[in-house]
Amino acid sequence: MGLFNKKKVVVPVIPAESQDVRVRCTSCGRLIDYDALKKNLKVCPHCGYHFRMSAAERIALLTDKGSFKEIGSPISSVDSLHFRDTVSYAERLKKLRDTIGLPNAVLTGTGKIDGVLTSIGVFAYEFLSGTLGSATGEKLTELFEFAGKNDLPAIVVFSSAGERIQEGIYSLMQVAKVIQAIEDYKKNGGFFVSVITNPVLGGPAVIAMGGDVIVAEAGSYVGVSGPRVSEQVMKRALPKEAQKVELLQNKGFVDIVVTRFQLKETLGNILKFYRRWSL
Amino acid sequence: MKTLPFEKPIEILYKELKRREVKGYALMGLDELIEKQIEEVYKHITPYDIVLVARHPDRPQPQDYIEKLFTNFTELHGDRAGEDDASVIGGTAFFNGNPVMVIGTRKGHDVKETLRYHSGMVKPSGFRKIARLAHLASDTLHIPIITLVDTPGAMVSAETEVNGQVSAIYSAISALLDANVPVISIITGEGESLAALSLTVSDRLLMLKYAFFAVLSPEAASSVLFKNLDKKREIAKELHITADELLGMNIIDRIIEEPAGAAHRFPHIVMKNVKEALEEELEFVSKEKIDILKRKRREKFRKAGVYSE
Repeated sequence: MGLFNKKKVVVPVIPAESQDVRVRCTSCGRLIDYDALKKNLKVCPHCGYHFRMSAAERIALLTDKGSFKEIGSPISSVDSLHFRDTVSYAERLKKLRDTIGLPNAVLTGTGKIDGVLTSIGVFAYEFLSGTLGSATGEKLTELFEFAGKNDLPAIVVFSSAGERIQEGIYSLMQVAKVIQAIEDYKKNGGFFVSVITNPVLGGPAVIAMGGDVIVAEAGSYVGVSGPRVSEQVMKRALPKEAQKVELLQNKGFVDIVVTRFQLKETLGNILKFYRRWSL
Repeated sequence: MKTLPFEKPIEILYKELKRREVKGYALMGLDELIEKQIEEVYKHITPYDIVLVARHPDRPQPQDYIEKLFTNFTELHGDRAGEDDASVIGGTAFFNGNPVMVIGTRKGHDVKETLRYHSGMVKPSGFRKIARLAHLASDTLHIPIITLVDTPGAMVSAETEVNGQVSAIYSAISALLDANVPVISIITGEGESLAALSLTVSDRLLMLKYAFFAVLSPEAASSVLFKNLDKKREIAKELHITADELLGMNIIDRIIEEPAGAAHRFPHIVMKNVKEALEEELEFVSKEKIDILKRKRREKFRKAGVYSE
């Protein structure tokens, strides 16, 4: 019952091997066979709604088969403030390590996109909504340092609900830390392409704006805060349309909006113009 | 003066004081008792109480510090892209005879001011103004930057989103990160979220004793984590937002003292404390060579955060 009654179903929580599962499209409300949805890159075949992808799925989508290699040491989030909301943050982290198998909310590495070698970081929305904790900030910083040292372009695929509240002020500091790394990287000839997927909010949205080129997946939302925080701050609801990438492209803040089917090709086309890279 | 909920024991005594004054009765040591009561109440102040103190409408705000502690202030308006955000005030001024660029946020003390400054919520044009003034101080005038922070955060509206709020915040943060002059920041009241960050990227970060600095407001955090506002007090404690805690976490460099009863009761004492602290800090950063200062600033942000390898 539960699964089919709920209007909103987050796809990544459904085990990949489960058969005969149908999900209801968040946008058009129609039932879709899960296998068919997966084959269609998790895009609703009826209305074109883009379901969320896990970090692993994103890497499989964007990089040439077998070319992705993780870089750096595994860095884990820690419960530095002994934070407790409904459950303790330490417990949350332990559970995530056991279920998802990721130590933090970003996967970084190198890979080829249409034959062009690049460094790439992908936010894992399945890890506490891709929020920006200290470990995530450190991994992103290392990614830009690695890209700079190795003369590689840098791509970051963003999907994040914002700052990691459980890490308090440390989370906020990551925004300045990563921006510093981006600016250093760009000053030394680096080329940063940021990819916005649904949604990118708060600090990560600010970081994403550092892209030399900003590519967005169709129907994504990017902005300074999500509906709940917005309402809390302004005492009234924020019209969701204002954060839609299609509108922001018209306003001049996003370079190009493409569907998931065109994303890899678009990135490949952009990377081919990176000056230090010969084909 | 508005008394805050946790100040109830003081309020009762104040009422009695007023009654006696009106009727012409002897005070009989009541004023001393009030002093003691204030000490007592502020000794047991909780993080959320500090949030309320920081938001007190009579608490001195950046524009007040600029007026009292700086001379020859020339306000510079506008983002050069079509708007001037009233919530950000900035310009050239002298502090103790030293030329500086001072930039602050302002919330306003009464309804009229609050409306004009939209409660200190910074718009994209405000962040662009911060970036512009930082570049002017850094690249053209070569004068230190002093920022004064008191803001409930970045504005979130349809208008600010389509005007590139996140992009504007990026420009403010990167301008201060890269400034070729010393940057000193003081959080005088509320320091919330990305707006506070965009003004606290600095070589020396100072904080008033009853100010707070948080990744987002306890109310917003409670509404995200619990879907309601009931837990704002608990969350305020969990978030570690007070000056004492942040000094221990190496986020800030110095606490500027406030007497019990806080700045809204004793603005002159606090003004003096801010002045003294700023004098010392400005002297301290002026002695340092700029490339060493910049290297230290860089390292500070490179190392920010706690994680395990």
